[in-house]
Amino acid sequence: MPDSRPIRDVVVAGGGIVGWSAAAALRRHLPNVGVTVIADAPAPDALAERIGSTLPSIAAFHGDLGLSEMNAVARTASGYRVGTQFEGWAGNRPAYVHTYGEHGRPFGATSFHLYWHRVRQAGGTASFDTFSPAAELARMGRFVHPQGGPGSILASFEYGLQLNPARYLDLMRAFAVHLGAREHQAKIAQVDVRGEDGFVGGLRLDDGQVVTADLFVDCTGPAARIRSALDAKFEDWSCYLPCDRVILAEGTAPASLPVMDSVVAMSSGWRWQAASPARTSHGLVYASAHLSDSKAERALRVHSGAEPRGPAVAIRIGRRPDPWLRNCVAVGEAAVALEPLEWTNLHVAHSAIDRIVAMMPDRECAPIELAEFNRQSAAEAERIRDFLMLHYVTSDRREPFWRDAAAMRIPDGLAHTLRLFRERGRLPFQEEETFARDSWLSVLFGQGVLPHRADPLTDALPIARIEAAMGQMRDSIRAMASPLPTHADYLGNMMRRAVR
Amino acid sequence: MPVRVVVVGGGTAGWMTAAALAKLLPHRCTVHLVESETIGIVGVGEATLPHIRAFNERLGISEAEFMSSTRATFKLGIEFKNWGAIGDSYIHPFGTFGDGQSEIGFHHYWTRLRLAGRPVGSLDEYSMGVMAGRLNRFQLPEKDHESIASTFGYAYQFDATLFAPFLRRLAESMGARRTEGRVVGVDRNGESGDIESITMESGEVIEGDLFVDCSGFISLLLGKALGEPFRDWSRWLPADSAVAMPCRTETSLTPYTSAIAMPSGWRWRIPLQHRTGNGYVYSSAFTSDEAARDALVDAVEGEPIADPRVLRFVAGRRERSWAHNCVAVGLASGFLEPLESTSIYLIQQAITYLVELFPEKRISPVDRDEFNRLIDLEYDRIRDFLILHYHATTRSDTPFWDYVRTMDLPSTLSEKIDLFRRRGRIVKYREGVFLEASWVAVYIGQNIFPEGHDARAGVLPIGEVADRAEALRSRIRAAAEAMPDHAAYIRSYCAMAEAA
Repeated sequence: MPDSRPIRDVVVAGGGIVGWSAAAALRRHLPNVGVTVIADAPAPDALAERIGSTLPSIAAFHGDLGLSEMNAVARTASGYRVGTQFEGWAGNRPAYVHTYGEHGRPFGATSFHLYWHRVRQAGGTASFDTFSPAAELARMGRFVHPQGGPGSILASFEYGLQLNPARYLDLMRAFAVHLGAREHQAKIAQVDVRGEDGFVGGLRLDDGQVVTADLFVDCTGPAARIRSALDAKFEDWSCYLPCDRVILAEGTAPASLPVMDSVVAMSSGWRWQAASPARTSHGLVYASAHLSDSKAERALRVHSGAEPRGPAVAIRIGRRPDPWLRNCVAVGEAAVALEPLEWTNLHVAHSAIDRIVAMMPDRECAPIELAEFNRQSAAEAERIRDFLMLHYVTSDRREPFWRDAAAMRIPDGLAHTLRLFRERGRLPFQEEETFARDSWLSVLFGQGVLPHRADPLTDALPIARIEAAMGQMRDSIRAMASPLPTHADYLGNMMRRAVR
Repeated sequence: MPVRVVVVGGGTAGWMTAAALAKLLPHRCTVHLVESETIGIVGVGEATLPHIRAFNERLGISEAEFMSSTRATFKLGIEFKNWGAIGDSYIHPFGTFGDGQSEIGFHHYWTRLRLAGRPVGSLDEYSMGVMAGRLNRFQLPEKDHESIASTFGYAYQFDATLFAPFLRRLAESMGARRTEGRVVGVDRNGESGDIESITMESGEVIEGDLFVDCSGFISLLLGKALGEPFRDWSRWLPADSAVAMPCRTETSLTPYTSAIAMPSGWRWRIPLQHRTGNGYVYSSAFTSDEAARDALVDAVEGEPIADPRVLRFVAGRRERSWAHNCVAVGLASGFLEPLESTSIYLIQQAITYLVELFPEKRISPVDRDEFNRLIDLEYDRIRDFLILHYHATTRSDTPFWDYVRTMDLPSTLSEKIDLFRRRGRIVKYREGVFLEASWVAVYIGQNIFPEGHDARAGVLPIGEVADRAEALRSRIRAAAEAMPDHAAYIRSYCAMAEAA
């Protein structure tokens, strides 16, 4: 007989940000479910635990949890970020800023970007990111929260957080415990799999205890300590994304706090720099076939002036085809391992946590319900992979690493997107999309990908009127930014309010 | 040089296409429509979906003027009678169940109460649109999303034979040309196979770059001249005939369309300002034309105002709706019975996609393929939704109902049904016509009840859920009772011109 009773006991494995976030969300949304966290420290290759740059979805995740930004940001010495500056990704093209949210304002009969492209074809020179209010904030190092009603220039951007991971982990742990999650400090020694149905029967811990549960949530990073005991299936994506190593470093906070991070293409990969009030994090992501670990370490040291934190970690890019199998669900990098480009590692974990809450089955964990969970997870992961791949395949750099990357076979979904965009600037809609249309546009235009022809709907307006409207937008964006506080001042004010 | 568009056929599809192209792409195309007054149009009094409002708005059509000209009434949804079982009745509303404020569908709470044996009543009582419909009330929805009177949508029921002339005036005022006469020849390029011109009975030859086939079932260009194969879906949708007969309206003016199950199909009832449209959609394999006609004549409520006339069709669609330089819009591209009022919606979507993917003189396969992908998705999703109505029944009183109840389903549909039965889950897609509330309405209206509910609906104590549901039910009833009578509202808002 299938057990159709509701799930009442959940064990979350993994004592990092992902594990504690899962515990907090489960307690918050399903308070009649008991949650125990097996709080082993995260492994070095669990990138979601180490990378501070996060996507705008984190604000909604905190909102749903009831975790205030005052706590999440001010009390953890974290900061804000409105985007990433990409340098050197497309040959000699100027750097561009990928921000989240609206570029330009809709006018006339169709999307702004199609008007921008028409002007571009007619010889216009203003870059696409010129029309992003957030990119202007980024260039000026200023920040305020989105504000004003619809139509207000500051209403339409989104922001992510620049976390200070160590302190954020402490906060999330305290918050989850406050919501009733229990902590069990131990390591998993062995996973018992029941002979009769293949379910996880229990975890043997290194303190001699055995824990059982209705559902096991595996937040142990790429090793997937529990989920990997059920099967070892893995879809390898190294044929799509060329980098397989990450090395991180940490330096002091900068004198003037930026509100974006920077991502610079290098001969065999790319490096980043991202600053929060407490630290500046650096990293180098590269392909081991093109760059040795020791050379990578040296390169990072030279560029960052900071000491690497630990040796290079290997990333095996790809995903488990069935993140949820029987009574075990893999979350974050236990389910899908991606390189850090565009900062999706923690986002993917949040998204899986939200999906678990929304699709919680009963103790039977019926395959039909899990199949829908897995279908959505797959669609989401593949689309993110395609977005990351976009950065490589549209580069025209000539080094061997870049030539290899550009020659990779493009999966169907991305090929469709590129074909349609190159034809006339349209982007197909996809289900389970993480990056909004304007994010795709930012990167496509930023990397110099231009449609072959202007969209017919744009020629109902004379070009002079389009140019005048765009000129006005640019002026109002410039006028908007200069009176705003610097990022550091804005955080300082928040801190003072928090202390009061 | 503008693209020369030739529209063949002047019914609803033809004039909607001509008006939209003339309005939205005045610099890109010239529009030449040919129609013959000797060929009737199929329009039998049309019930629409809320999407039509966006189309009218884009064309700058005033709602009151449009409604007055087409003798339209408001439509809150569709009433289904005798479908799940003889004696059953439910309304599929345009809008939500519940107050729209919860992050999970109201039907999960309803299911929880139902499974606990609480006196929860029908799901209909928790929908503003349904309750207003049952009471024959109507007013425009409130804009404030907190208000219960914002939770419904609406469409129109109008006289399609008046809609085409209404659009013709608009299209001609924007420069569309019209030629009266029958098409007797289609000339194709010997090499490319593209259509170069059509020849009229008068001998006139009309050349074009893009041909839009709005010729109806006959599919003069796409089907006949180009030979595009037809994908036949009659094994799932066996109805292939309809007999239509309008009558005087002798009961109160309902703000909804009715679809009443009949021995070998179903009967529509569409109340307009000046008459009520009636028709029996049936399968000729299960009943004769005479028997169908007699059954319709017996069933209509008012005095007939025309003789019954019979239509033939086959459910399905062309493999491609756009082949070579010919795009089919409306019945020339495919047919799905009007059970969910999707005919005009499909016309509108084809036009929207054509405008967005409007080609140059030399047509790009990228545009054409994308158009076909988008339109196929629309057809396929509607198909599954229609099949559900027939399959979800306990009726075995006639061979027809026995057949549809026991037929094999497309796997895309049986998976959806299983998922709903399990835990009330709807496979969500953001694009597409029928969303969560529509599927819920039909499942529950036809007695497919979930065996479980979303875990989040299990958090509050059941007494509290019951109290809230009861309060909501009273609030909806009170708000519906406060609305004006449908007929009175129409008199003040958009009464038809006398003797127009």
